[in-house]
Amino acid sequence: MKRRSFLKNISAASGGLMLNGLPLSVMARSGEMQRLAASADNERVLVIIQMHGGNDGLNTVIPINQYSQYYNIRPNIAIPDHGKRRFVTLDSTLTEEQQTGIHPDMIGVKELYDQGKVGIVQAVSYENLNGSHFRSRDIWFMGGNYDEYLGSGWMGRYLDHLYPGYPDAYPTADMPDPLGLEIGNNVSLAFHRANGIPTAVSVNNPKQFYDLINSVGGEPPESVADTHYGHELQWIMDIEKKSNQYAGRLKEVFEKGSNSATVQYPETYPYNAPKNSLRNGLAPQLRMIARLLSGGCKTKIFLARIGGFDTHASQVESYDSTMGVHAALLYHLSESVKAFQNDLKGLGLEDRVLTMTMSEFGRRAASNGSWGTDHGTAAPTLIFGNHVKPGITGKNPDLYDLDRNNLRMQHDYRQVYGAIVQDWFEASPEAIQKTRFEDFVYNDKKLSLIGNPVLGIEDLFIASRFYLKPCSPNPATLYTKVNYRVNVQCTVELKLMNQEGKLISALVKAVKSPGEHQLEMDVRGLQKGIYHITLEAGGFRDSTKLIVV
Amino acid sequence: MASLISYQDILGRKKAAHLLRRMTFGATKQEVDAFAQYTPQQAVAKLLKDPNLEFPPPKDTATGQNWVNPAPSDANSGNETLMHQVKCWWLDQMLNAPLSAKEKMSFFMHTHFTTIESRMKYAPALYYQVKLFSYYALGNFKTIAKKICLDHAMLRHLDGNLNEVGKPNENFAREFLELYSIGKGDQIGPTDYTNYTEDDIIAASKIFSGYKEDKDFSSLDIETGLAQVIIQTNDEGLAGRHDASVKQFSHAFDNQQIAPAELMNGKATLEAVLDELDQFVEMIFEKEATALHICRKLYRFFMYYDITDEVEQNVIKPLAVELKASNYELIPVLTSLFTSQHFYDLDNQAKEDNNTGGIIKSPLDLMAGTFRFFKIDMPSQNTDLSLFYETYDKGILKILNDQGLDFYEPYEVAGYAAYHQAPAYHRNWISTNYLARRYEFSRLLIEGIKNEDEQLLYKLDIVAYIDDTSNITDPTNPELLVRELVDYLLPEEITEERFQYFRKTILLDDLSDINWRKEWEKYKSSGDDSAVKIQLESLIHTIIQSPEYQLS
Repeated sequence: MKRRSFLKNISAASGGLMLNGLPLSVMARSGEMQRLAASADNERVLVIIQMHGGNDGLNTVIPINQYSQYYNIRPNIAIPDHGKRRFVTLDSTLTEEQQTGIHPDMIGVKELYDQGKVGIVQAVSYENLNGSHFRSRDIWFMGGNYDEYLGSGWMGRYLDHLYPGYPDAYPTADMPDPLGLEIGNNVSLAFHRANGIPTAVSVNNPKQFYDLINSVGGEPPESVADTHYGHELQWIMDIEKKSNQYAGRLKEVFEKGSNSATVQYPETYPYNAPKNSLRNGLAPQLRMIARLLSGGCKTKIFLARIGGFDTHASQVESYDSTMGVHAALLYHLSESVKAFQNDLKGLGLEDRVLTMTMSEFGRRAASNGSWGTDHGTAAPTLIFGNHVKPGITGKNPDLYDLDRNNLRMQHDYRQVYGAIVQDWFEASPEAIQKTRFEDFVYNDKKLSLIGNPVLGIEDLFIASRFYLKPCSPNPATLYTKVNYRVNVQCTVELKLMNQEGKLISALVKAVKSPGEHQLEMDVRGLQKGIYHITLEAGGFRDSTKLIVV
Repeated sequence: MASLISYQDILGRKKAAHLLRRMTFGATKQEVDAFAQYTPQQAVAKLLKDPNLEFPPPKDTATGQNWVNPAPSDANSGNETLMHQVKCWWLDQMLNAPLSAKEKMSFFMHTHFTTIESRMKYAPALYYQVKLFSYYALGNFKTIAKKICLDHAMLRHLDGNLNEVGKPNENFAREFLELYSIGKGDQIGPTDYTNYTEDDIIAASKIFSGYKEDKDFSSLDIETGLAQVIIQTNDEGLAGRHDASVKQFSHAFDNQQIAPAELMNGKATLEAVLDELDQFVEMIFEKEATALHICRKLYRFFMYYDITDEVEQNVIKPLAVELKASNYELIPVLTSLFTSQHFYDLDNQAKEDNNTGGIIKSPLDLMAGTFRFFKIDMPSQNTDLSLFYETYDKGILKILNDQGLDFYEPYEVAGYAAYHQAPAYHRNWISTNYLARRYEFSRLLIEGIKNEDEQLLYKLDIVAYIDDTSNITDPTNPELLVRELVDYLLPEEITEERFQYFRKTILLDDLSDINWRKEWEKYKSSGDDSAVKIQLESLIHTIIQSPEYQLS
């Protein structure tokens, strides 16, 4: 907003886009800043996707080791174990009590899983879960117990600690961007500090935001009184100042940034669902985050949101339990995250970003009569990224041992956040204390959710699930045999290509059961030379060389 | 010490303006001056007197007629259009109804019993809900709490139509306890929220079971004459889908039981179902926590968001006692609040001006207050119907939405964040985007809003406003001119420095008073207002785009 002082600053910076914040001398004096710079600057970013309304975990990650009980308690909404839209078996190599299926509209997640980029934490909740959306969401944001009432959120406290002196001392050369960025118009409790304006700003579209900010405003009053009136005035002035400071910078990184040319973000749900759940509202948010990051944005925590999970009624269509609102939402989530992950990969940012989901609670184990589910408790959290420790943490909820018709919790939500802050952000013990997760990150509470990136098919995670072995005999004269393995029932495509990459023959295109398979092929009809055999199964791709002599 | 002791002197301009900003959607300068002569008791009594002005129902552009008696036909516009029209119709009342607390209290009811338009399906449901809010705006809160359980919009909004014996849907029961009546207290046990427990939610959902919508909207409540939902009947005329069992409530309600007074063949009679509802609401409103919850809601809406221990003890508690003693009539507590020394900042020597200007205006307060102060001309539904809807759609609804008030479509069931989301409450109206949008509003207002055919929908003609001695005593005098604007438009006195910024830097552009007088005289003699217009518009922009103007 065109405050005069602001105008002066931009004219000095010529061109007038950037407002560079503090003079350098102030920075240099801030010894604490430099001390913290190392930990603050691991350049790692967390993207949180809020599934607003309370996601039905049991129809997201289906406990197929107890399928009949699952079906019994929710017959009108259960995802079937047969037919075209049966659940997708996640991974046959998991233990029996971890055997899960995922919703048929989550094939994007399945693809990422097969590349070692998905971690699932089962039955996340907190003691004495509060059945109110609003209170429970606040608890997840606040980072406290069920009976604590804090005015600040864990992200706010963490960022406040990491960047001391906010808001007055920011932006700086090292941290020119908002500490947190919430996509949309509001700033959630999560980013609130104990006092003063939140550590995040909210933005829908950086360019529009900049144009808007620069088209309005006058000079602010110089002083404010220590009264309610004065405090509210100060609040407005502080927000206004931060808007001015960050608008130009966000526009700059947004314009400098780009998305991968080859990645298509999903726009709509391709099947039947109620009209207002067709549009994918999450994809543009993630696309914007990728673009800001590629433009050099250093924001640490992003909060994106997808709403509509409060499915008391018509969670599924009465004629098909795999269709409807919830299916569309899971599709939106799954396809958006897949596109986001591929986009980050294309942009060379995959190692910097970890994405996780959260929701205020899961839903009741049993369905209700309205093809929906009432408020429940524990639900799975999904974590995505190159550095995720792939697989499942915990086991399937025990549907024979419910607590007041609800799933029993296995993990406190602060164990999940805590592990991420500790291992992903590499936070110091002091920073952990600020987040109030210190009781959830040591000893038997500690979850191991972050790992080394799955570099390739040699990685144990993948090698134990998928492989394509070298042909034998090779070189071949009469015939050769190819052995390959898949981890779940899936469509397998095995192709013979020449050296130019041209398809010579489709060797296999069929649904295969989990386990090892062998193909024997006659090579007598082939010209002598070098060939490649490629395997595609789920998210897995590999090829091996064949020489015909 | 915060205190409800009443203040009885003549109000004067500043206190009158404060009262009118809070209790109404805005007053003109002339109205503020008139109220300045009253005592708080006189002023509040005037504002709380129901004007008994029946606004004619909304007309549909497709037929030129209203459709509410009883329900739309095929000749009418589609449902979405009709709902839209109802919202425009309500906004028209907020902007144009005579000065009264009634419209503001109706809006309070909406922020309390918030439903979401896209969940309610039928336009008549929306219409009758707005009528219900209006009917009880200055009436009895317990009664409207009963009526809302039988409200079509609410039934749809929280899946009440799906809640049947054997197939309970807890959605409405939970929110009724948590949001609408007793409120959630601290969680003191696995399923115990102090004021109620999870078991109470289950029992309450049985009370509410077996209702269904009346698609003809022809079943009218005898008391209000407004359409309400019906009880599903079986072949014998009994409540076939109602859970006829005994509803056991927890220790939070002294282990009370509620059961149908009359059963036939195991089913409750229709009267018995309604009687259960009555008993249930009475049981909840018998609890002090309910009165406290409602008083806190009123306090946050009208006074300030932060309820300190002192305010809780000295303001909320006595108000709650009064509310309960009056059997939940609203007028007594509103009178106490708005005539108290606390409201006028006279109970606190150390910090005067604590409450004056301490609320961040909602986008609706911001816009309606501006429209009413400047007496902006808006089309009425009796002149050009389609222009009327277009104006309220493009000129009000859309701008409210940009500023963060998606009218009747808040993001979540708890309603607009400003009225429930701790810790920031009304500060939720101010985010980077919303604040910029609020400032942008002055540009729209002064440039005027046009439709696609370049037809003007509304516009503030600032020269005409200033050139009216009933508004500005002497437009040639810049000191007086600016004084007569900021004194009425801004909630608090401003510093001399700040005043000179508006006068000298903005209005005069750092030129002399004499120059301004000459420019004004030139305009008066030649009719050419180009010079004074630029400066006056700049002044209005600067006032509306100030942090102070965002406050009430």
